[in-house]
Amino acid sequence: MSIIKVENLSKLFKDTKALDDVSFEFEKGILSFLGPSGCGKTTLLRSIAGLEVPDTGTISIADEVQTSIAAGILVPPYARKIGFVFQNYALWPHMTVFSNVAFGLKLRKTPAEEVKHKVLSALELVGLQGREERYPSQLSGGQQQRVALARSLALEPRLILLDEPLSNLDAKLREEMRVELKKLIKKVGISALYVTHDQEEAFTISDAVIVMDAGKVLQYGTPDEIYNHPAHPFVAAFVGHATIVDGKVVAVDSGVCRVLVPEFAGAMLISAAPKQAAPGNLCKVVVRNGEIRLSPDKFPEGTENVLEGVMTSREYRGGLTDHRVQIGSKEIVVTSHKLCPMIRVRGDGDTTFLSIDKSAISVIVGP
Amino acid sequence: MSFSRSGSTTHWSSIKLALRQGTLVPLLASTVAGAVIVTPVLIVLWRSFTTGKLGFSVGLNLNNYLRVFADRDILKMLGNSVFYAAGSAALGTGLGAMLAWIVARTNTPGKALVELMPLYPILMPPIMKNIAWILLLAPRSGILNGMLQQFFGIEALVFNAFSMAGMIWVFGLACVPLGYLFLLPVFLSFDPSLEESAYIAGSRPVHTMMRITFPLAAPAFLSAFVLNFLRGLRSFETPVLQGTPGNIKVFVSRVYDSMALEFNAGLATAYSVVLVVLSVITLYFYVRATRFSERYATITGKGYRVKVIDIGPWKYVTFLAVFLYFLAGIVLPFVVLIVVSMIPYFDYDTFMSFPSNAVLNNYYTVLKHPSFVTGLYNSLVLSVTIAIVTVLAGIVMAFTIHRTRAAGAKIFEFIGTVPLAFPPLVLSVGLVIIFLGTPLYNSLWALGIGLFVAYFPYAFRNASGSIVNIHKELDEAAWVHGARWRHVFFKITLPILKPSVGGALFYIFIEAIRNVDVAVLLTAPGKEYGPVTLFEYFRLGQWAEAAAGGVIYLIILIVAVSVAKFAFKMKFSL
Repeated sequence: MSIIKVENLSKLFKDTKALDDVSFEFEKGILSFLGPSGCGKTTLLRSIAGLEVPDTGTISIADEVQTSIAAGILVPPYARKIGFVFQNYALWPHMTVFSNVAFGLKLRKTPAEEVKHKVLSALELVGLQGREERYPSQLSGGQQQRVALARSLALEPRLILLDEPLSNLDAKLREEMRVELKKLIKKVGISALYVTHDQEEAFTISDAVIVMDAGKVLQYGTPDEIYNHPAHPFVAAFVGHATIVDGKVVAVDSGVCRVLVPEFAGAMLISAAPKQAAPGNLCKVVVRNGEIRLSPDKFPEGTENVLEGVMTSREYRGGLTDHRVQIGSKEIVVTSHKLCPMIRVRGDGDTTFLSIDKSAISVIVGP
Repeated sequence: MSFSRSGSTTHWSSIKLALRQGTLVPLLASTVAGAVIVTPVLIVLWRSFTTGKLGFSVGLNLNNYLRVFADRDILKMLGNSVFYAAGSAALGTGLGAMLAWIVARTNTPGKALVELMPLYPILMPPIMKNIAWILLLAPRSGILNGMLQQFFGIEALVFNAFSMAGMIWVFGLACVPLGYLFLLPVFLSFDPSLEESAYIAGSRPVHTMMRITFPLAAPAFLSAFVLNFLRGLRSFETPVLQGTPGNIKVFVSRVYDSMALEFNAGLATAYSVVLVVLSVITLYFYVRATRFSERYATITGKGYRVKVIDIGPWKYVTFLAVFLYFLAGIVLPFVVLIVVSMIPYFDYDTFMSFPSNAVLNNYYTVLKHPSFVTGLYNSLVLSVTIAIVTVLAGIVMAFTIHRTRAAGAKIFEFIGTVPLAFPPLVLSVGLVIIFLGTPLYNSLWALGIGLFVAYFPYAFRNASGSIVNIHKELDEAAWVHGARWRHVFFKITLPILKPSVGGALFYIFIEAIRNVDVAVLLTAPGKEYGPVTLFEYFRLGQWAEAAAGGVIYLIILIVAVSVAKFAFKMKFSL
């Protein structure tokens, strides 16, 4: 059984494709939709909730068809047995915390005793016991967030949808809640779909990530796969902290390819070969900033992927430092950790040598 | 819910979709309300293009319009209408703005009192103000001219209620509260940094006021002015009671005469259409003015503390100004009505010998008069009912537009606003034409429907404004947590709307219970309406009875307002 299955979902808003033939299947756990604003991730989530009607496609939750345009099926949101946590929490301002959480239970004609029990245990779960009689406006942002979560969890839904639930919190609280939210969802044992534009948040919280842009699914994989093996230049750029340059595959041999990078003064780089790579392919070369060695001196003969450049500037970021090095016509960013022994820093304007392990380079075939 | 549908493909018919989403009920309710509103409007338009007696049709023709535009007085009437409306709007809005500035920005003593004094005159129904001011300003029998003659020996008839100046004075006073209410928030929540930066740039307080404060309040002033102008175009009591005797014709009184005296529906509707065109032009300017003021938005959500200006000894002058308006707006007319209601009959000498000749006869007469008692009862029952029905229907329609995905719901936006362009008298002309010959004619239903149509736009626009301000996610959260549309409507939308619902209920009740211009053509023996009864008394020359009835009416209104204020903890503002 898959908790969620989406097939060929498309939706047009005026002239823009909010969803462009989106298909995926997810068995269970936490799945994130990651992408910039306007990429269609929220439309996808709202379509799954039944709040938007797609133009074409099918959505099934726990193997039951909820939306199928071809078959004329459209289960209304109130019958989908899901939870939904809105970006701005959407707590009803005229109801107490208790009434907010009890709302759905009462609609289901749950006996009063049971309502009380379920509401209180949901509130306890999110650490808000004793706040039942408060109104939403009397709570902090983080507390409102928890009430919204409790309101969904109290209904014991089969799937919970979260639409950028942490984006209204300040940075510090956001990081705390991120970890807590994950623990909580795992503890309840429910599956969750999580929309975010923050790659770090997506990576921390989820078992799998779908990266979207312009209504399309660009890559679907575990956080590790997405980070280390981006399948699309956009994914590499969005997931971040990498320098991306154009290249051309020169040779492929036993899983390793050699790529010519004209912008790096015509340097030749080697990397693990992607499946479909063939000599002559144009490609993008992704070099992850944090996995590069810097040295004022030449590296020993035989070191992988050695480049020579000029240090242009450095930006101190606390625990990390970004070094900008000009290689040929391209600037590359090298991020070093304070304690990292691989990097010996030089002054601006000095010649610097770089060495990059082939595991730090991804090659994406395509123009 | 933003069930925004793609423009290109529709997979289900909208009815099927509405059914599936459970939004058929609000859609149907809105359609019924919309039909009730649109019918009199269309009838007026249709009827203006046909001649023949009521109830008969002789095909479409332009004869009515030919007669209207052949009327030698048409230009004069147009001039009168515009001059009267603009004059009242200028007087009322100007005075209202001045009072608002005094209250908000000066250290005038007695703040609590001064703040409310400009609002009390709202309580007095317009018909009573007209009656009182006619008693005061009538050329021959009027109290003020009599006093000038008795105490100063001035023989000339200085005051004339039946002149353009008299009309503008009375209706202009009635325009003050709106000007005050539009400008008070502007002066109160003015971002002080706008003035402070002028001071720092070297501008003195008076200069700053002229160059910064007043120009920034101009858009709100313009909005209030245009709205008051529109009210002037639509107003009924002043033109009929003061204009007609002085032979100053405006469109509203011409429509009334054609319908009530000449029974010429074709002519009445043709004049109506001209009036509607004027109203539409005015409304267009109103929309422009409001947009303009949005661009000038000086008011933010931040709670500013406005700087109060010390105006020295002038503060007593400003206090006097507010107090004088209070006197002219309600105290003086009220006192006149009370005195006139307690003298055997009205003329100057009898009036002046009060209280030695005080009697309660008029009250007995009025209370024994079935047309007054049923009128009073009907107006109370109807205005409460109509307030509730109209407000609910307004919310349902706004809900349909903004919260359901029903295709084509946007058309209600237009339908719900249309009566604004139709002066209430014109709507009731339409209703008379519809109901004539049906059992509904001469029934309270006709009256109720008339009031419903006339006040619907206020209920609707109020509800629309509030619903738009409720985050859609609040509805959607209810949806995904198991609520159907009726749960969303009754448990989320309605409770959140409660404060604005209360205000709208109260406003429509107050407006309906004092209504003359909708009811005047729709009353019948046994189906009287309170204010119309007073209007008729006055037209028949029973001035003392009219005054007695008016006093009883005002007392009931004050009780109702107090009950509303205390029972529902409502704030006194309109």
